[in-house]
Amino acid sequence: MAGSGRGRGRAAFTFNIEAIGFTKGAALPDVACTPPPPFPSTDNKPVPLKTGEDEDYMLALKQDLRGTMKKMPYFLAVEEDREVIERYSKKYQDSEKEHAAWTPDWRRLPREVKPKKKTKKAGAKPKKTKSSEPKSNLDVLKKIEELEKKDDEEEKSEDEKDQTKDKEGEDDEEAEEPEEYDEEEHEEENDYISSYFEDGDDFGAGSDDNMDEATY
Amino acid sequence: MTQAEIKLCSLLLQEHFGEIVEKIGTYLIRTGTQPLRMIVNDTGLLLDQVKKALCVLIQHNLVTYQLQKRGFVEYEAQCKRILRILRYPRYIYTAKTLYNDTGELIVEELLLNGKMTMSAVVRKVADRLTETMEDGKTMDYADVSNTFVRLADTHFVQRCPLVPEIPESPDAPPPPAPTLVINEKDMYVVPRLNLVGKGKRRRSCDEEDNGEHKAKKQKQDGESSEPPPDDGIYWQVNIDRFHQHFRDQGIVSAVANRMDQTSSEIVRTMLRMSEVTTSSGAPYTQPLSSNEIFRSLPAGYNIVKQVLDQYLTLLADDPLEFVGKSGDSGGGMYTVSILCGHLPAPAFPGPFGSRCARIFRLLLRKKHLEQKQVEDFAMIPAKEAKDMLYKMLSENFVSLQEIPKTPDHAPSRTFYLYTVNVPSSARMLLHRCYKSVANLMERRQYETKENKRLLEKSQRVEAILASMQATGAEDTQLQEIEEMITAPERQQLETLKRNVNKIDASENQVDETIFVLESFIESTVRRP
Repeated sequence: MAGSGRGRGRAAFTFNIEAIGFTKGAALPDVACTPPPPFPSTDNKPVPLKTGEDEDYMLALKQDLRGTMKKMPYFLAVEEDREVIERYSKKYQDSEKEHAAWTPDWRRLPREVKPKKKTKKAGAKPKKTKSSEPKSNLDVLKKIEELEKKDDEEEKSEDEKDQTKDKEGEDDEEAEEPEEYDEEEHEEENDYISSYFEDGDDFGAGSDDNMDEATY
Repeated sequence: MTQAEIKLCSLLLQEHFGEIVEKIGTYLIRTGTQPLRMIVNDTGLLLDQVKKALCVLIQHNLVTYQLQKRGFVEYEAQCKRILRILRYPRYIYTAKTLYNDTGELIVEELLLNGKMTMSAVVRKVADRLTETMEDGKTMDYADVSNTFVRLADTHFVQRCPLVPEIPESPDAPPPPAPTLVINEKDMYVVPRLNLVGKGKRRRSCDEEDNGEHKAKKQKQDGESSEPPPDDGIYWQVNIDRFHQHFRDQGIVSAVANRMDQTSSEIVRTMLRMSEVTTSSGAPYTQPLSSNEIFRSLPAGYNIVKQVLDQYLTLLADDPLEFVGKSGDSGGGMYTVSILCGHLPAPAFPGPFGSRCARIFRLLLRKKHLEQKQVEDFAMIPAKEAKDMLYKMLSENFVSLQEIPKTPDHAPSRTFYLYTVNVPSSARMLLHRCYKSVANLMERRQYETKENKRLLEKSQRVEAILASMQATGAEDTQLQEIEEMITAPERQQLETLKRNVNKIDASENQVDETIFVLESFIESTVRRP
């Protein structure tokens, strides 16, 4: 009874299938098992584009507009990473950025949006943070370490001052100073002389030897 | 905001304003109104970058801010306004057709800069025009000012809301954000300036400050040493007015298609007369008497009054109801109905084919039809009709209406009627349009990126050529330089250019469809 329909092995619908147009016994279209393809083939060609003087002019306008907007001061580009190699042609391309500065009418904008001038205060801040560190450590040994570190860090803090200045956004176009020369100072914070241990020729080659591998 | 709209907005912002602005704009669209702190936290950008980007967005009217009661400021993105960036070329072109090059440049400058003072606009436009003129001739400021005034009179440009006069009290600190106000009446009042000058050389401007909203003088570092006389009075493009204009154009061309040129001219005249008096959202224009129409017809059309009356009656009787008769005083009052001129039917044939379009139009007209009736009326073989109907059903362009014969709703004894739900199909089409523009833009950017190296090379070669020509090089040298780009590369460049042009043109055209659909949806929503 309940399964009598299924028992016969044929699908039976609850309504008269002729009502939607399938004749009895005709094959039903396949069930869709996969999502439709992203680029289905269209038999119908799309309506051709309108062409004419108006459209050509608008096309030219659109492309001009795009180009012009890229050069406006409103176009905020993400700063590219510092270039490893300075290119000769850069010299001739930077002239575009000269007329970059645009100041909005501050009266019309909320006060918080106005960037505050921080050039002079930036110097004080990192110095404060650096100088507060030794106060937190009471241990004598640690104090000696701190004193040692301070010598290193005074040079470091100058770099950081410059970096924060740059980051404040006023000098977006200036390249940040490279940090490469810091690395030598940071390499070793212990007493070993860096040139003491010379990597021999077979430093890396030794591991290729099969003999040392465990032979179980 | 649908996903497609958000994607399109972010693509537009990125293309025109850069990635930082794009990130912030997208974030604001997605999350709604936010204060500054939240924006900085959630986008992960530096505070200064966020500030700059917000300045840019506010300047271009893409983001608005509001001072909340608790004293902090919240920012909101205007998604619709961002989508209008697609339409900028159309606005500029319309200004060109109406007001020549001067008008075109004025609108272009205003669109590029968001808002500007009148004196700044006049100066820039005069300079630009002078550059294109022959040597020795300069563009007078007065011409530019005149065009500007005309634009303001026809409401194509409008004043931005102003900073109100706050009585300076030394105790109370100024509010964190100004609340801008604008009086309806003042929106198109042009400050009485007497800008004397020509392009390039700027002579001193005589000042006659407009007494109404005197802005405080501000120290401007940069170009001008003294503040301009209309300082603080900014102008922006009135987008709604342009839309009204496009709508009128659409109606006129629809009438011209149905009837003849003369009747379209009549409708155009009627629309022009009520341009300024009709607000942008009204479904009908103000009633105009036929006498007025007769007087305002352009001089070239010498039709007699009776003929005009006949035309008007004809238009009024037309089933599409462009023109309605609303009274008899003054020889008959007529209004133009702004709504019905646009139906989504023309946009339809594309994805499905013209036969589907036939079925669709049939359903629109007859409202509800059974499967069998569809086949009969559309004269399409049953199998095809079935197929198309189901395709459209799966895309939700048509829907089924059940009418049960028996109270138990048995499917075998129920009528199933196909029907078209116009507003929802319009919305769906609109959504598809947004998606297609976004796809087009992505494809264009991809193409450009793929060929970036080649493009840069060709730009360099052109620059070299130009500089060599300026210094007077010989032909052989020029030839050599040109040969730096090989023939297959040239071919590639050609193909690229053609593709990019095609994609751009398609974007423009899809935007026209977007406009029609949007105004249609707006009108159906607003109908009382």
